[in-house]
Amino acid sequence: MIELRDVTFVHQNGVKALDGVSLKIDAGETVAIVGENGAGKTTLVKHVTGLLKPASGTVLVDGEDTTLTSTAKLSRKVGVAFQNPDHQLFSESVEEEMAFGLRNFGFPPDLVEQRVTWGLELFGLGEYRKSSPLVLSGGEKKRLTLACILAWDPQVLILDEPTVGQDAIQKEKLAGTIRMLSASGKTVIVVSHDIEFLWPIQPRVVVMKAGRILGDGPASQIMRVKEMLDSARVAQPQLVDFYGRLASKPEAPFVDPLEARRWIEGVKPS
Amino acid sequence: MMWLSSGFIFRRGTSAYHRLDPRVKLLVSVLMFVTTLLVRTLYELAAVLLFMIALSAFATVLRRVARTMAFTALFSAFIFALNFVFTRNIETSLLYAARFVAIVVSTSLFFITTSPDELEQVMKTFRLPRDVIFAFVTAVRFIPVMFLDTIQIMDAQKSRGLELEKGNLLRRVRNMIPILIPLVVNSVVRSGELAEAMESRAYGAVPRPTSLVEYRTSLADKAVATAAVVAFALVAYSFYFVIPAQIL
Amino acid sequence: MSNILEIEWLGFRYPDSPRKAISDFDLAVPEGEIVVLAGPSGCGKSTLLRAVNGLIPHMYSGEYTGSVRVGGTNVKESSMRDLAQKVGFLFQNPENQIFMFTVERDIAFGLENLGVPRPEMRARVDEAMRLLDIGELALRAPHELSDGQKQRVALAGVLAMEPRLVILDEPTSLLDPKTASELVGLVARLRKELGTTFVVVEHRLDLLVKVADRIVVMSDGRKALEGTPAEVLFGEDAESYGVSTPSITRLQKMLAKDGLVPQGELMTTAELATSLEGGRS
Repeated sequence: MIELRDVTFVHQNGVKALDGVSLKIDAGETVAIVGENGAGKTTLVKHVTGLLKPASGTVLVDGEDTTLTSTAKLSRKVGVAFQNPDHQLFSESVEEEMAFGLRNFGFPPDLVEQRVTWGLELFGLGEYRKSSPLVLSGGEKKRLTLACILAWDPQVLILDEPTVGQDAIQKEKLAGTIRMLSASGKTVIVVSHDIEFLWPIQPRVVVMKAGRILGDGPASQIMRVKEMLDSARVAQPQLVDFYGRLASKPEAPFVDPLEARRWIEGVKPS
Repeated sequence: MMWLSSGFIFRRGTSAYHRLDPRVKLLVSVLMFVTTLLVRTLYELAAVLLFMIALSAFATVLRRVARTMAFTALFSAFIFALNFVFTRNIETSLLYAARFVAIVVSTSLFFITTSPDELEQVMKTFRLPRDVIFAFVTAVRFIPVMFLDTIQIMDAQKSRGLELEKGNLLRRVRNMIPILIPLVVNSVVRSGELAEAMESRAYGAVPRPTSLVEYRTSLADKAVATAAVVAFALVAYSFYFVIPAQIL
Repeated sequence: MSNILEIEWLGFRYPDSPRKAISDFDLAVPEGEIVVLAGPSGCGKSTLLRAVNGLIPHMYSGEYTGSVRVGGTNVKESSMRDLAQKVGFLFQNPENQIFMFTVERDIAFGLENLGVPRPEMRARVDEAMRLLDIGELALRAPHELSDGQKQRVALAGVLAMEPRLVILDEPTSLLDPKTASELVGLVARLRKELGTTFVVVEHRLDLLVKVADRIVVMSDGRKALEGTPAEVLFGEDAESYGVSTPSITRLQKMLAKDGLVPQGELMTTAELATSLEGGRS
């Protein structure tokens, strides 16, 4: 679905934001991109949507070279929910906000109506349909931007720091949404610092540092490699850290506290 | 987009000229400015321009000054054409066009070599109200931030299928709405947050705030200022009393 | 120890809002504590913080009942000038509280406003930079700083005013985990070195539980829970108020219920593992 071949990108100030990155993401995968601020995560995402074009190397989205097409066209296939909702909300009402993308992609009015209703229901925003998007709380704005993108049903979804400013309940819902999207066959890419949020989702994890990929593999393997995580300044999930300290342990780290408890109960002679 | 924002970001230079007191640099620029207004012939103007170019080279900002000159060329061509249409005199028209370039160079030399905090210092010397100075400081301080905002907003809207370069003129103007509204909303939110932060750090607590940095006029500053004034007086005197314009 | 902050029956309603943002709120914070304020979005945390540093009612007026005292003086009756020296406020986005073109001048901003003489100001600015280990950034411009550095510069500007109480509004939300944990370490160190009291609003409890003395949970403008981190997180209600319990604490809670580990204190991953291994051998 998405393929980067030896991609290099240099910012105006001379900083190499991507340094020979090769990455292949298949349709239906759920991938987390982690790394400290400035590691190149956002630059990588912008290459996938064609907002940035590689200085050298190739980026292919659904077989199409991003240098030969426009972001507007690519975004029909790849939807990105950027970190700050205030950078995109502009309409008079929540429903107009959602219709914006749909109209840009030429959806007919009846389908626009249908899609808007569906998206607002899915994210529990129905009651705000006629309100200005600016009166929503931070968490609601964030959900609205996600609804706006899901509305045109792109094949790939990219979420840039979706948990910033979200409380525990909202995060729980967000994790549910990501699972639902994966289950329905979407390719989901999550850029996030929030390791504790990502861990139970058990995505494929790509660790970045200084424009390079340090590690790439299933969360249960990557999150165990402490030296690599440390050098990328990425925290280890608490349960993985705990797992690493046990003398006898199961094959794979515990995904959630409940699983850990069950295992401990099993080995504990009582 | 980025190159535009980088033009607004002051680059700290290290030349002897950069290190002068900002007020002295202002004096030099003002005197050069006045000189360009005093000159009567192309030769005189060429001499003034040559001096300014030499000074730019000394201040190690020749490349940036040259860029400014190239940028003003378009306007000065316009001025030349306008003058020529009315006066039918090539020499006068050239003088006006070149004078415009010289005026821009004299002012830009000041702005290129003076950091925003030095500008603030100059404003304080003129006893401008603190609110005015602070408004200027925050405006300049947030120019790069607002450019970044604009880029992020454009990225977000393009990713929702917005095609900025599509359609006729009216359509293109309408395409700007999804960019402008978030930009304005963000600026309003930002001003609110700035106001809170200012209040929380005692802005306006005393009528005469103190300043961490003290600008002392050094011997070099005094020497340059004196030299500039003397040179200007000599040049002005010679223009009008010693060398009659007809000779040149 | 005396209380640096005393809030009694505080209520506040914004002029154009039908319901109160804060109601019947009581809180006493002893000097030198680190208190975490948690609760779901829109529970009134931001309003409460603004009532503590005086932005409410001095900048935002509204229906105000009860009282807030900082170091014994009533916030409502003192000026923003006095309050600025008592309560420091680190806002969520450091970008919007750095005003000047160089780091050291920005740190001096509050002192300049107060008319502090230059030699004393120089000493206080240098001390603040030393405390936050940002001396080498003194002459940098704000756009040349990383997010973590901006956060430190903004905090230095707050500390230069030498407040006894410092409010941090979601200080780590824009930082990556390592930078965030460095900031939390810094807060703990400042409390120890200077005896400063901190009130921290934060969703990410995994970092803060180790250094906090107390957690206060808000809901609908009221105080819902208050106690030590262990009391609040081992209690039954924390999760229902949107407080994210660190996963290791959730595990400890489950194991303690079965009597496999003790419940008194919150354990780190290492302590929990050791406790289990010890019990087994």
